[in-house]
Amino acid sequence: MTTTHEERPSVGADPLSLPPQPVPDAVTAPFWAALAEGRLAMCRCGDCGLWLQPPLERCRRCAGPTRFADVAGTGTVYSFIVQHRATVPGYLDDLPYVVALVELDEQAGLRLPARIVGVDPAQVRCGLRVRAEFADLPGGDFTVAVFRPVDGL
Amino acid sequence: MSRSLEGAAVVGIGRSPFVRSSGRTTLSMAAQAAREALADCGLTAADVDGFTCYSTGDSAGPSQVAHAIGVDDLGWSLSVLGGGNIVTSTVAGAAAAVLSGQAEVVVVYRVLGSQTRYGRALERIEVDGEGQFAGPHGYLVPPQWFAMFCRRHQYEYGSTAADLGAIAVQERDHAVRNPHAVARSPITLDDYLNSRWISEPFRLFDCCYEIDGAVAIVVTSAERAADLPHRPVHLLGAADSNRFGGSVDQWDDLSCMYSRDTAPRLWSRTGLQPADIDVACMYDCFTFTVMATFEDFGFCAKGEVGDYFRAGRATYGGDVVVNPHGGLLSEGYIHGLNHHYEAVLQLRGEAGDRQVSGAETALVTSGAGPFGGALVYGTAAA
Repeated sequence: MTTTHEERPSVGADPLSLPPQPVPDAVTAPFWAALAEGRLAMCRCGDCGLWLQPPLERCRRCAGPTRFADVAGTGTVYSFIVQHRATVPGYLDDLPYVVALVELDEQAGLRLPARIVGVDPAQVRCGLRVRAEFADLPGGDFTVAVFRPVDGL
Repeated sequence: MSRSLEGAAVVGIGRSPFVRSSGRTTLSMAAQAAREALADCGLTAADVDGFTCYSTGDSAGPSQVAHAIGVDDLGWSLSVLGGGNIVTSTVAGAAAAVLSGQAEVVVVYRVLGSQTRYGRALERIEVDGEGQFAGPHGYLVPPQWFAMFCRRHQYEYGSTAADLGAIAVQERDHAVRNPHAVARSPITLDDYLNSRWISEPFRLFDCCYEIDGAVAIVVTSAERAADLPHRPVHLLGAADSNRFGGSVDQWDDLSCMYSRDTAPRLWSRTGLQPADIDVACMYDCFTFTVMATFEDFGFCAKGEVGDYFRAGRATYGGDVVVNPHGGLLSEGYIHGLNHHYEAVLQLRGEAGDRQVSGAETALVTSGAGPFGGALVYGTAAA
């Protein structure tokens, strides 16, 4: 069920002003709860230790129970785009903005899509080392992890 | 599993006009395409007992379309949830239904109305599923996903904007000779390079042309096909691959696509290789989709697609004619089923000004990223 812009008291006048809001479910809710506490936590198998993104109730490898565990918040830009036009709502004042797939240090191939902040888009490169920091998602209800270059370009 | 589709053929093709905004319902357009496809092969609604389509929940269903064209008792009806990734499975599924006796004559269709535009999602307020991790960062639509793939390819193999442009220019050049294409004005590499950024590294001309329209094809047995008016177009084999639950973020190597796994499977099942292919209808939701899958299917090595196109090897007189109709980039985006229409037209020798001389085999691919498939059609049975 889609919540319309009018039903949200915290929403600005322009329906395009807010980025899409997440709808946590029974499996993903701990991810968002951790972010609200200023922690980046990812889903991990309690038995075999495999990190799972997107999260699953049971491990896809060994069917063990999963839980959310904090990660270091460091990683590498695997790939990135520079968004020049609004094709998705939100960040209109930030165009052009950078979205990367950040490969987290915990496991090869464990990636999170995230905005890259604090850097000229022209300076972003595959392989760039980045660290997570926390930002309020416009809309007021959620916190997201964005990433900033470790060495400050 | 080799040659598993031997004995099935496409005998009829139909389509509605392709236009930017039709004002028509998906039912109206799909019914028109289905009627035309049946008329094309001299069959009537009374001959049809199977109907199938794929959609993302945006289309009139098989039972509705069958009813609308006068089919009274539909024995096999299958609605598949999916997009470009699922076209091969849907067509191969129709063939399997025919070969297993579940149906004799099956209509396969895809229709897209103005309510469906995948390139933008400005109305999306909330996102669930895997999208909940990406959407809040302003990252939610296919041009963004595959621009992400493209960037990684550029990083690993040094492919360039000019390489992507060579694909866009070539496909547009082909569309000039296609009266059904929505974009027929030739473009130059400069036009390509000067077109506006969408999601860098993608420019406007990297992206397919989203339109309204419908395509239908009729699948039946090769045996029955022999009694119908057109030269039958035989299914020589099909293969799919699906990994990572369809996740574009977690797919392990963004410099390639599903075709990495599909290609060896398809060549093994058909006993063919790239050099045997006359026409390649490469799924081209974006230029980069052509680049990645063309490499994966083995037409050239990684990073060589730009040179391949610039050398004229992907057009008339070259090694293989890629998207003679202009593809999704220039003919228009009917989610890949228009590639099947074109392949049939070419193998019948009925493609007019853009006929590929002596075409006997056509590769048709579908999908992008972590999932998709491909099949081969031929003028002779396997």
